[in-house]
Amino acid sequence: MTKSRRITDIFAWIILIVASLVVLFPIWWTVTTSFKMPRDIATWPPPYVPFLNFEPTLSAWESIFGAPGQLSGGGHAGSMIYRVVTNSLIIAVSSSALAITIGSLAAYSLARFEFRRWKNNDIAFWILSNRMFPPVAMVIPFFIFFKMLNMLDTLPAIILVHTAFSLPFVVWMMREFFLDMPKEIEESAMIDGCSVFGVLRRVVLPLAAPSLAAVAVFCFIFSWNELLFALFLTFNQAQTLPMLIAGETHTGSPLWWLISAVSTVAIIPPIVFAVLVQKYIVRGLTLGAVKG
Amino acid sequence: MNEKYIKFIFLVPCIVYLLALGIFPLIYNVYLSAHWIELTAGPEAVRFAGFENYVKLSQDWRFWDTLRNTFLFVVSAVGLELLIGFGLALILNREMRGGKFFRVLFLMPMMSTPVAVGYMFRMILNPQWGAMNHFLSLAGIPPVRWLDDPAISLFSIVLIDAWEWTPFMFLALLAGLQALPVDPYEAAIIDGASKTQVFRHVTLPLLSPVIVVACLIRSIDAFKIFDVIYVTTAGGPGTSSETVTMYAQTIGMRYLSLGYASTLAFTLLISVVVVALIFINKMRKQRG
Repeated sequence: MTKSRRITDIFAWIILIVASLVVLFPIWWTVTTSFKMPRDIATWPPPYVPFLNFEPTLSAWESIFGAPGQLSGGGHAGSMIYRVVTNSLIIAVSSSALAITIGSLAAYSLARFEFRRWKNNDIAFWILSNRMFPPVAMVIPFFIFFKMLNMLDTLPAIILVHTAFSLPFVVWMMREFFLDMPKEIEESAMIDGCSVFGVLRRVVLPLAAPSLAAVAVFCFIFSWNELLFALFLTFNQAQTLPMLIAGETHTGSPLWWLISAVSTVAIIPPIVFAVLVQKYIVRGLTLGAVKG
Repeated sequence: MNEKYIKFIFLVPCIVYLLALGIFPLIYNVYLSAHWIELTAGPEAVRFAGFENYVKLSQDWRFWDTLRNTFLFVVSAVGLELLIGFGLALILNREMRGGKFFRVLFLMPMMSTPVAVGYMFRMILNPQWGAMNHFLSLAGIPPVRWLDDPAISLFSIVLIDAWEWTPFMFLALLAGLQALPVDPYEAAIIDGASKTQVFRHVTLPLLSPVIVVACLIRSIDAFKIFDVIYVTTAGGPGTSSETVTMYAQTIGMRYLSLGYASTLAFTLLISVVVVALIFINKMRKQRG
């Protein structure tokens, strides 16, 4: 029994290590490529390990983060990165904040009060269904609205659209969290003479803070990674980081080392955030259906 | 303030927002699909077209190709992810040192920016110097033109999606497995059931709600795939890896035929809504 146990344990470890290598390899390859010279890209066999297979250089990093305002060393990415990262940050932070504010109030209302004409559950499921629509079925109307409003290629346009996409998720997840929270503390605070807003600020907000942060992180990652809306609604001033990467790859012979560096910049924030909220990830990704 | 008003004050902004920037665009999309709008022909080139776009759609071989590609992609990607993810979850459902570390590791593909992922694989699958062909050559397999061969390109997109989303299936099913009750297993072992019998008659039925929900969520997302295709094959070569979203984006942005692009988008909406309704019904039953 113990012997077969040990064999399956070893087998499980081998599987786990192979799976981890498969997960890590593409990321490793991209990060190391950002330290390659152009001549080290298209060689055979591919150089995998810095110092061992190729001499690492900072030249790609220097050219994307070269002095702002001046086009440095052979790449469209040069110097644009500052503006694009700033845009992406502003859009992701603002749309998350907006979605969290509007969404968690609605979620609280749905979790704590009773609606009669339409039942709470019906409203919640209607809100959730908004999450499912394919973006491509909304993007052309958005394009026409914002063209009419003269808001194409502006940050507010993208922020409004990303908020609309995050909002159903916020309501759905926060409602679940509020339903899991004991009602009694709020009730006793009410009896002690707290107003609804007082209860929200002094009792609910501190208790819900971790879950609010987790849900906000999901909104941030969604907005930070999003391409289709950005592609239709921006072209220059309001360009986002995914658009910069997508634009670079469409040039005839891509500057692999530069795109690798920009891609590395792009994947750092979502990965760091995912690590911070990993406890909530399964729950968030399955819309609360699986409580991981 | 009265509770009666408070609850509406909290809820109404959200509802209004979703009606204005969720439902209204969808309805407007249907309205646009009944119009002929060619921005290349000047701003005045708009007229009512009735069902013209839909007639055009039914005769557009490229649309049927992209629809077939989309369904083929969804079924094979979700199937492959379920297969590998479930296998991993069954094997790794045990106490292991460093479990939390590996959990975090497996989150990385899903959280990475999809355009960056597409680009990573454009390098890995490069026919001349990509790592994939290098690994294959070590096993004596001749190089494959992953993204440039019309017979393989859609399959390559499935592989990329599997790298990105198998961890989702794995983590969801692992969480599901770990939440299963112990009693049925003890009963089955007392009754002398074999390992395969336990799997077929205890694990599978108990886990099936989680499996179904995970597959539905994944399918709804897979229908919308765009970013990865946009940076890897852009739908090519030819239309071999073009999905409906990709085609609609090309029609809308390159040819600026907004009416026809809306018609294409509408067909995708229908497909997604069917899957989404099944999902929502399942969730409703779960919640009772």
